[in-house]
Amino acid sequence: MGKAAAREHRQERVEAVRAQQAREARRKVVLSVTAVAVVVAVIAALVVVKVVTSGHQTGPSASAPNLASASVVSALSTVPAATFNTVGAGTLTARPVPITAAALTADGKARVLYDGAEYCPYCAGERWAVAVALSRFGTWSGLGATSSSSTDTYPNTATLAFHGATYASTYLSFTGYEETTNQPQGTSYVPLDTLPAADQAIVRMFDAVPYIPAASAGSIPFIDIGGRYVISGASYDVSVLQGKTREQIAAALKDPNSDVAKAIIGTANVITADICKVLGSTAPAVCSSPGVVSAGP
Amino acid sequence: MPAPPQPRWLVLGSFALALAGTCISAYLTLDHYAALAPLACPENATINCVKVTTSSYSTLHGVPVALLGLAFYVVMLALCSPPAWRIRRPLVVRARLAGSIVGVAFILYLIWAELFEINAICLWCTAVHLITLALFALLLIGQSLTNARTLDDS
Repeated sequence: MGKAAAREHRQERVEAVRAQQAREARRKVVLSVTAVAVVVAVIAALVVVKVVTSGHQTGPSASAPNLASASVVSALSTVPAATFNTVGAGTLTARPVPITAAALTADGKARVLYDGAEYCPYCAGERWAVAVALSRFGTWSGLGATSSSSTDTYPNTATLAFHGATYASTYLSFTGYEETTNQPQGTSYVPLDTLPAADQAIVRMFDAVPYIPAASAGSIPFIDIGGRYVISGASYDVSVLQGKTREQIAAALKDPNSDVAKAIIGTANVITADICKVLGSTAPAVCSSPGVVSAGP
Repeated sequence: MPAPPQPRWLVLGSFALALAGTCISAYLTLDHYAALAPLACPENATINCVKVTTSSYSTLHGVPVALLGLAFYVVMLALCSPPAWRIRRPLVVRARLAGSIVGVAFILYLIWAELFEINAICLWCTAVHLITLALFALLLIGQSLTNARTLDDS
């Protein structure tokens, strides 16, 4: 009788342990499902927050672009020939880099590709020179007015914007991208233009070693001139623009003795000379002007 | 008494997912280093593979994220292979689960970066994220279900 009771007691204890283990196993299944559900919920929450906050973004450049004043556009397209010739390469600090690539063209014309962002102070400086140089081959319309970020290096540098601008020329085609506005969003800025895959491939290929030093690879602004020359980063010391309004910068362009003209006109002459090389025998008369010739590669 | 074999759906499912993750990660790694052609990926205001794969978030302390993904999936492929499933040592079981948890934590970081920092989605990366999430769910739930069934059977 005693042995039977002991056996029965042991059996009950075994069953109790098994029941406990089964409950534990079921609890782990529930915990596993819960863990997966939590991860899915976190991802869903990230997407929802993104969708909701995107709906509230109102970058001024994206919604209502400011246009550069007529006097500014006129000033950069009517710089006296004497100023170009006197300045030459001016205070240029970085020359465009020659590359070996397929000719960059569009509509049967040599193409200039610009990739920058409105927040970027070096882009702010380079746009002036690009706009002046291209004015020698064609006509701008819809040039924007903006300034670099108020919290980056050389804050609030007054400049133009290529977002929404159009360029007409019998010699050249121009494509300008401003990847973001100057309006902060999180740790970055509000997105603006997106480069098509083909242009992104060009930027990725040539804004990199061996064409660009490793330390500055991937920098903006990036400019590709006809698939023959590239620029990455600022071509001159953009501090010369600090504290000046767009109108003051535009007005200083005609004075060959101003630091602004030496920097912007000098860079514009160098870009012009590279464009002339790309155009070759079809280059217009401006390509044989003393300022362009002296600034040439 | 030897432990019963792991269910076929768990072994084959996890191996297939790890294999798919390895292939896509290899493609992204190849693209990172070779850059022979743009990624086969549609492009619009939301989806932009190149923008993501060339962003500052495409490397971690100088190591390409695509390469990290490939290394992760090579390890997971080994851990989820049928021979590895036959090894019942706790170390292997824990490594498999720990790997899937590390993977899912990393994809949460990458999803955050795509949505809030890069402002673009890479479809190939999203495919890897989904596979990683599915592998995490399969391993976690599958392993706990298997343990529960083993107890019920005994």
